Amino acid sequence: MSLYLFQILNGVGLGMIYFLMGVGLTIIFGMMNFVNFAHGAFYALGAYACYVVMSITGSFWAGLVLAPICIGILALGIEKVLVRRLYAVDHSIQILITIGVMMMIREGTLLIWGTVPKSIRVPELLAGIVAFDDFVYPVYRLFIVGVTALIGIGLWLLLEKTRFGMVIRAGSERPHMVALLGINIDKLFSMTFIGGVALAGVAGALIAPIRGVDAFMGVEALGIAFVVVVIGGMGSFSGALIGGLIVGLVQSFTSGFWPAGTNVMIYSVMALIIMFRPNGLLGRA
Amino acid sequence: MQNTTPFKTYAMGLIAFVILLPLLIHSQVLATEILIFAMAAIGCNLLLGYSGLLSFGQSLFFGGGAYAASILSINFDVSLLTVIGFTLIVGIALAVLVGFFSIRRQGIYFVMITLAFGQLGYYAAFLAEDFTGGEDGLLDVPRVALKLPFLPDVHFDTDISFYILTSVLFVLSVMLMQLVVNSPFGSVLQAIRQNENRAEAIGYRVKLYKIAIFAFSGAITALSGALYALMLNFAPLSNIDIEISETILFMCVLGGLGSIFGSIVGAAVFLLASDFLSELWPRWMLILGFLVILVMLYARGGLWASLMIMLERAKEILGIKEKHNV
Amino acid sequence: MIKLKKAIILASSMFLSLTSYAQAKDVTIYGVSSESGAFANFGKQGSKGLKLAVDAADDAAGMKFNYSIIDSESNAGKAARKVKAAISKSDARYFIGSTLSSTALAVGKEVDKAGGIYINGSGADEITGTQCNKAMFRWSAPTYGAVNASLIPVLDLHPEIKRVYTITPDYVFGEAMLNNAKIILKKRGIELVGNSYHSLKEKEFSGYLSQAMATKADLLLVLNFGSLATNTLLQADSFGMKDKMQILLVWSSGLDHFRTLTPKVAEGIYFGSQYWHEDESPANKAFVALSREKLKETPNYPMAHYYQMTKLLIDSMNATKSADPDAIRKHLEGLEYDGLTGREFINAENHQVEKYFYLLQGKKASEMKDPDNYANIISKAKYFLPANETGCKM
Repeated sequence: MSLYLFQILNGVGLGMIYFLMGVGLTIIFGMMNFVNFAHGAFYALGAYACYVVMSITGSFWAGLVLAPICIGILALGIEKVLVRRLYAVDHSIQILITIGVMMMIREGTLLIWGTVPKSIRVPELLAGIVAFDDFVYPVYRLFIVGVTALIGIGLWLLLEKTRFGMVIRAGSERPHMVALLGINIDKLFSMTFIGGVALAGVAGALIAPIRGVDAFMGVEALGIAFVVVVIGGMGSFSGALIGGLIVGLVQSFTSGFWPAGTNVMIYSVMALIIMFRPNGLLGRA
Repeated sequence: MQNTTPFKTYAMGLIAFVILLPLLIHSQVLATEILIFAMAAIGCNLLLGYSGLLSFGQSLFFGGGAYAASILSINFDVSLLTVIGFTLIVGIALAVLVGFFSIRRQGIYFVMITLAFGQLGYYAAFLAEDFTGGEDGLLDVPRVALKLPFLPDVHFDTDISFYILTSVLFVLSVMLMQLVVNSPFGSVLQAIRQNENRAEAIGYRVKLYKIAIFAFSGAITALSGALYALMLNFAPLSNIDIEISETILFMCVLGGLGSIFGSIVGAAVFLLASDFLSELWPRWMLILGFLVILVMLYARGGLWASLMIMLERAKEILGIKEKHNV
Repeated sequence: MIKLKKAIILASSMFLSLTSYAQAKDVTIYGVSSESGAFANFGKQGSKGLKLAVDAADDAAGMKFNYSIIDSESNAGKAARKVKAAISKSDARYFIGSTLSSTALAVGKEVDKAGGIYINGSGADEITGTQCNKAMFRWSAPTYGAVNASLIPVLDLHPEIKRVYTITPDYVFGEAMLNNAKIILKKRGIELVGNSYHSLKEKEFSGYLSQAMATKADLLLVLNFGSLATNTLLQADSFGMKDKMQILLVWSSGLDHFRTLTPKVAEGIYFGSQYWHEDESPANKAFVALSREKLKETPNYPMAHYYQMTKLLIDSMNATKSADPDAIRKHLEGLEYDGLTGREFINAENHQVEKYFYLLQGKKASEMKDPDNYANIISKAKYFLPANETGCKM
């Protein structure tokens, strides 16, 4: 198998991870027109929650299931106390306030779990590798790609094929109209926010075995998640997938010939795309 | 309120401030840092507070100014005025570049383009080791002397002399920025911030105005970066890191959007708090995050405006009325 | 009345002169540690080590030792500003430690200008090389020593190693590590089958690791550090690479790395380390006992080296009975003493402390004798370039 083919495969694998990081962000933006800079912090909390559950129960699977639930409950609280007041305000104010939330969560995790990073080992069941001629790929990464694909399909079905999804989409276009129809728009937004944030929690829990758990992982994830959704188009579900794949492939190829420049390339690609497609590849005007 | 403050009074206030500051906090070095970051916060406020442009690219101007001044001072036998002039040119050039590309987009897309430029600047500085020293930064940056014809050279090697230099540049640039925002140009920016489409319809060339305010912001931010490098005798890579953009943004927000004096208060409070709180409790940023949320929710005028409002209330309660109110 | 006044004046003037006498004998040692920010972990532990050394200091020469911690906020600029302020405001002369190399270099310049002493344990070879100055001393082994002391014994233990793949961070430190490794490999006729450079913000090592596997290397030589190394090793473990080749991480953080990685991942992997708490040297045994008694914890590298550097400074002050930086510098230059790693020696020409560097191997969880018994010491060794080859001109 040629090196290029491998790089494509690896890039797609990375891209699926990035899609997972970005999808919650894009759904919240698309439905509620809310820019959540605390997304990365929830992702880091997801990883910590998974670590805590795993150290109590000894099971990674329990961590994977319970982590997003814990993060969802936290999101419910934050939505009620804070986020609810921000739907109508300017993006820049949403950004500044959610940066404040991000800092509080980051410092809070350092306070609770200390400054030494943690790690979670890949569960035995998924510990092996798959060999393609000379190249190998960890089973766990294939598992992430699989889970992400399932989550993606599930979300697509939910948003496109159910009444619930229809209402959410209508709510994002014309909230007043939906409210007039007797649907509780506050509840709808609150559920969307919880769902989007819980997706960040899932991503954090899934990635923890690959990169360890520390308080600063959220900042990196935030950067990648925003690049992904801005390339794809803020609010576009399929845009997040395409954005994720583009970033994954750019990273995979650049690391082959100019490793120090992977970030330069990713940001350049994003800047170029916004130049020519102001709302991202699939964004609505 | 400040618009009605006579210019002279304003200047006297600033001069009193720079004289009292080092006496109050007992440290000329910290006082210098406060003035430097106050200038950077004002640069950020010009964009965010006066023009509604949230920029994550301020690190590019700050770091760019620091590198420009350092490279020139290390490698050439120049006068201070040359260094300042060069820094301003670099700052304006970078800002016009970023402004030109970013103002075509709005909201989150604008923010992301400025962020991308900030990140590109960081990686470029990291990779261009021969010019920037890469990870180690540029060491041994000399504070070049002010060379004027017919006069002896003025050196700034002591803490106090460098503080005086910073104060002079600080007062001059703050006065200039106050003039800018109070001018008709400033009023047009306010109009654009409030309703861009209407301003465009009236016939203002919105893009030009935005690029111009970027240039002012770039100039003052680069100057502050240059002073920071001269103060430290050192230009670290962290000057151009995204964190600097964040720090500057927090100072600006804490002090209050749309108030130049607020930015000065914001920078002072931020640096004093980080200096004292960091020794008491390493997790002091938790409080900072909380404060930012509070200010953005309840007091967008910032700490300064809140303090003024509280003072007014206190006066009313105590029954003290100022003469002109009677 | 007048008598009383006189008495008061006399008493107060005596009191004043007494306190000023005491102040003259007060010595404050400034710890530069990243207590907040991205490297808070390192700074917090470092400060603990410094405090331990100051609290345990004897006052043989009648001096009273205090400390003051300068939080670098994990930012070289902040550190330089705070050190400058401490020098001009509090007449500070004695400084210990840094997390980042850039901090150490900048602080070193400031302390040199003030004529003080600055002992640090940073990773940059420039400190005792091209950027050396008379204020700076460096306790950590340079890249040359670290690579030699860890790679050579691994190659000796595994004569089957014929092909080596390296993973290197793309900047000065990584380049220095790689060059040192290349020289050893060349000398032994071992092929360097490939190298992957990566950026300092890299999180994703899967591409590099699969290239390493594709080259059928016998040894994966990891030349990065900190969280970069954690990610590399976690991902190498998930690729099952431990079954295919040996793995050596040259510049590990010691105990912290083992705690983060857990024994399951660390088992069988080789780790180079500046410090290991199980060293049998008398000074180390005493230090570990002290740390366990006072702090109820096993010391890690940041804590140990801040302790050692502070103790070195305090001991020199007691030995010279002075707080004069020049006298202390003279005393330190060429000094041989019982350090945490064994007999340590300070090279007078470039101020490099010549200490031992460890090669460790991760243990199975079932074989650990206590919760911190993560590794066996395979060997410890000293390798230092002669000062004239380091580029240092003092």
